[in-house]
Amino acid sequence: MLPDVDLLLEYPYTRTTGPVLGQFLTGLRDGHLLGIRNGDEVLCPPLEYDPATAQALDSELVEVATEGTVTSWTWVADPTSTHPFDHPFAFALVLLDGTDHAMAHAVDAGSIDDMSTGMRVAVQFHEERTGSITDFHFVPLDRAHAVDIGAGAEGAEPVTDIVQLIALNYHEPLHAHRARAAQALLDGRFIGQRSPASGKVYVPGRGYDPLERVEMGEDDELTVADRGTVTSFTVITPVDYYGQKETNPYIRASILLDGSDSPLISVDIRNLEEEDIRVGLRLQAVWRPEGERDLTGIDNRSVPLEGVIERWDPTGEPDADANKLREFTQ
Amino acid sequence: MTDHSRDVAIVAVSQTPAYEAFAGPEPVLIMRCVNDLLARTGLERHDIDFTLAGSCDYLSGAPFAFVMNIDGVGAWPPVYESHVEMDGAWALFEAWIRLQLGDIDVALVIGSGRSSPGNNREIFALQGDPYLTAPLGLDPASLAGIQARALLDADLATEADFAAVVERSWKAAADNPNAMVRRSDSADQLLDQPYYAAPLRAHDVAPVADGAAALLMVAGDRARELCERPAWIQGIEHRIESHHPGFRDLTDSPSTRSAAEKVGGGGTFDVAELMVAHSHEEIILRRALGLGDDTVVNPSGGPLGGHPVMATGLVRVIEVASRIADGSAQRGLAHASSGACLQQNLICVLQGDD
Repeated sequence: MLPDVDLLLEYPYTRTTGPVLGQFLTGLRDGHLLGIRNGDEVLCPPLEYDPATAQALDSELVEVATEGTVTSWTWVADPTSTHPFDHPFAFALVLLDGTDHAMAHAVDAGSIDDMSTGMRVAVQFHEERTGSITDFHFVPLDRAHAVDIGAGAEGAEPVTDIVQLIALNYHEPLHAHRARAAQALLDGRFIGQRSPASGKVYVPGRGYDPLERVEMGEDDELTVADRGTVTSFTVITPVDYYGQKETNPYIRASILLDGSDSPLISVDIRNLEEEDIRVGLRLQAVWRPEGERDLTGIDNRSVPLEGVIERWDPTGEPDADANKLREFTQ
Repeated sequence: MTDHSRDVAIVAVSQTPAYEAFAGPEPVLIMRCVNDLLARTGLERHDIDFTLAGSCDYLSGAPFAFVMNIDGVGAWPPVYESHVEMDGAWALFEAWIRLQLGDIDVALVIGSGRSSPGNNREIFALQGDPYLTAPLGLDPASLAGIQARALLDADLATEADFAAVVERSWKAAADNPNAMVRRSDSADQLLDQPYYAAPLRAHDVAPVADGAAALLMVAGDRARELCERPAWIQGIEHRIESHHPGFRDLTDSPSTRSAAEKVGGGGTFDVAELMVAHSHEEIILRRALGLGDDTVVNPSGGPLGGHPVMATGLVRVIEVASRIADGSAQRGLAHASSGACLQQNLICVLQGDD
């Protein structure tokens, strides 16, 4: 039985703050709430521009009160993993005293019965602050407690950028055609789908023929060979980035299995050196022993073949004519 | 815009049902619509001059999903195409502008999405300001709750009004083969349900679905050759407001009003399809658009009957166009929205031949 797809998608973003939000976030780290003047108004959170006229504002920020009034709110009964609390809380618009537009933030009120429009709330700074909007939350006015904000921040550099790690979880079953193809791999064979319209064989099948715009199913499936021809390859020199696990150059090849009209792409090749691989080279898949085949990481887009295939061995046959493979190299 | 140089009409429309979870690739959803459109019009793939799709890679968590989606449109030999990371209604807007240039006549517009693998509430929290609200996970449903309460506090609506919108939408959805919700609870029954994003209940939030929608739009007299009763685009425009909710009057939708004014949104409409992703939004939109009792609102059931994210706005246009095509409406308004609390709004006015 093949497991469902569980995917964690992460994107680490580093963003510069610009002068205004930089001061604002630095203020939060140091335990101050700052706004910006816009004529007679004070805006908190501060903007770089007048929201009505787009005129640049004087980037000198001013301290604003840490108490305010809830102008509207909702109750989050069942928080998600990206919410600031794992217990029920309120999101609210809070008009800080002396400011002219409300700020959206969280209120840790304990109970929906303790929330109301017009209620008074106060900023509750956290003990640990990094220069982020999550350095504080609001609480009902009588529940704010003092935090020692003096030490630690002194002399620290101004906040000029933020790191935002986006992490999203996805869960879905494998599509039926993917599940059949995956099971075949565990059984030590490749299956593809033959288009009922053109006769072309797609490996792995996508559940449809993209050229003829027809759907394909189990009746269109057939076993293809586990040997084939290199139609293209590249040597990738790893660069360092978030999540990178590779350290040494490695080969990724496109392999056209015998009986297929579409190459497997991005096949991981570890047993050949750069000088040993070329377009036209004939390769044979060497399967891992039956009990050791593993498709961890398979999803509805990609198949980690390295979990089922140990290596690709040159067959010793003469090379295929590279000129005849040109249509696959683009 | 109403001041345009070329008349453009919608000549054929197609949509998949709204699926709770479609057990297949997104290109299949698109392919079904595209094949349907070609069969209806007798056009070949190469007759389409421009293809424009709206979708969002974050929905299914597949980077470059929008490129894979091209598999569904029949893009070989290579076609002239583009993409917006928005609802298909904005693809329609861009395709309409493209046709105004006058050198091409036929455009295919698509909106599609598979939301079922992901967590909609977490994904769309990322649409917010990356410094000030996204780190809080402040999500559209929570913001909708804040907006709904602003309506209550201003005495512009009651929770019973929200329930009435849902009751009527579900009743209409019962007759829509593409709708997902098959329920007929009374407003009183709905009011007995617990809060989800108070004062909104779970049924006040449009149920997220997988699905696709597509249409063919054609300029000039050629539209009449392909379709007995084309739906002419009288005007199409969109407007946006601040992404800081505290800087807006959440009880009103000035961007909807100004977009409608720009396209000659006055006068009477036989039908209006509004992208009501949360029940209270219908109340705001009716007021902003000045819709009276003579306009039938969301006869399809609207998004509350099924919300195929990234196709939902284009489906509103399709529902109006199909009522003009079958003669049950002469003039209609389609509305699409993007962002939290009706932040950005698109209005498209459609009209049949006299």
